Amino acid sequence: MQAEQHQEEEEEEEGEGGGGGGGSEPEGTFRKSPFQLTVEDVYDMSYVLGRELHKIGSEPRAEVPARVAQVQFKVVSVLEMLEALVNDSSLTVEALRMERDSLKREVEELREQGSRGTAEQVSLGPNKMVVDLTDANRPRFTLQELREVLQERNQLKAQLMVAQEELQCYKSGYMSQKQDPVELIRKEPTVGSASGSGSEEKTIIKRLFGFKRPR
Amino acid sequence: MKTTLLHVVPPVSRDRIISHFPKWYTPEACLQFKDHFHTQVGSACQRRNTGAVGLKISKVVVVGDLYVGKTSLINRFCKDVFDRDYKATIGVDFEIERFEIAGVPYSLQIWDTAGQEKFKCIASAYYRGAEIIITVFDLADIQTLDHTKQWLQDALRENEPGSSFIFLVGTKKDLVSTAACERTELDAIHYANEMQAEYWSVSAKTGENVREFFSRVAALAFEKSMLMELEKSNSRMAQIGAGNLINIEGTSLEASETNHQANVGCC
Repeated sequence: MQAEQHQEEEEEEEGEGGGGGGGSEPEGTFRKSPFQLTVEDVYDMSYVLGRELHKIGSEPRAEVPARVAQVQFKVVSVLEMLEALVNDSSLTVEALRMERDSLKREVEELREQGSRGTAEQVSLGPNKMVVDLTDANRPRFTLQELREVLQERNQLKAQLMVAQEELQCYKSGYMSQKQDPVELIRKEPTVGSASGSGSEEKTIIKRLFGFKRPR
Repeated sequence: MKTTLLHVVPPVSRDRIISHFPKWYTPEACLQFKDHFHTQVGSACQRRNTGAVGLKISKVVVVGDLYVGKTSLINRFCKDVFDRDYKATIGVDFEIERFEIAGVPYSLQIWDTAGQEKFKCIASAYYRGAEIIITVFDLADIQTLDHTKQWLQDALRENEPGSSFIFLVGTKKDLVSTAACERTELDAIHYANEMQAEYWSVSAKTGENVREFFSRVAALAFEKSMLMELEKSNSRMAQIGAGNLINIEGTSLEASETNHQANVGCC
């Protein structure tokens, strides 16, 4: 019904505008799909509606209702186009919003990976450590080396202790007696085996130095 | 290690001469109550019938959290110094302290271990053959007391069960009030009983109880090794029968030597 009316109206328009070849073109914009409309079409519609309204004012009274109906029809079709466009744009907005959010998340993830990536590149694994080769205080000796140094230190310290004790003996003039009371005490019960005293002394030293070799 | 030097030792200083059995710190956590040497040990010492015990050196291992004052405790006793600045022990260190107990020369080889976790693998290699294990904590830091159990467990793992005397020592007594010290001591004594340890509160800074503590350590270690020696020589005597006394002494020396090598190990 509407389409028929539309058709009629158009014919009328064409009939009326007889001279102007360009007259039919603005009318056609009302039939366009709302999604193909351009700004130009909107101006055309505006022109057509303005012309119709003008006609209402200038035509005989009896024709006014018919004119109004025609304008009403045009206005309704414009509103329908607007409705379609609004519907479509709100859908588009929603789709864009979702896309924006997912892109945001993606960016965040990538940023995170990026910052982790720089750390991962150097740390290689959970139990690995990074060594700055330009750092003078970087760890560089093995546990075994430290063990050996410590053992050597301990042995030297033991030797130093022995030397210090002997020095103390010399200083106190104790050595002039060529015997120390400790040794005398030890010898007492083993009078018979005096020859063993030398080796006995050695075993004391051995014992003093009897540091355990760490496994 | 080879050395051709004849090792002579000067007499021990007066404060290293122990003639009476040193007393415990608290009767609530102590290894023994006696106030005199075991009769057998006493008479053996009097007779100078001590075999190789005079050559005896006992191994002491000191363990505990970092910064509780293990090194300070040892330095106060061995060198009579106190350094306010903290310097972490690297791996292990040691001191040898000579005593004369009941007239018999006796030495403690005191091993100072690092408290830092990173050195544990080095320090723990020195736990073996400890006649004395001293677990140290800071009286002002109760957490370090909690950790003594773990330290002891680690040290005991390397030793024969029941072969070591255990001490629990609270340090930095000067830093806590008498009331706070007493409160912590209650906990510590509880721990000590669980650990079968003797408890002591000390201050390396003021020197309070430090000498008394180490004298106690030395006396207990000395008596234990004397009793072990005497037991050994007695069983020898029983085997050999009524042998020549001099020979028996010689044998007991040999026996103790193998024992020492087993205990102390050799470099």
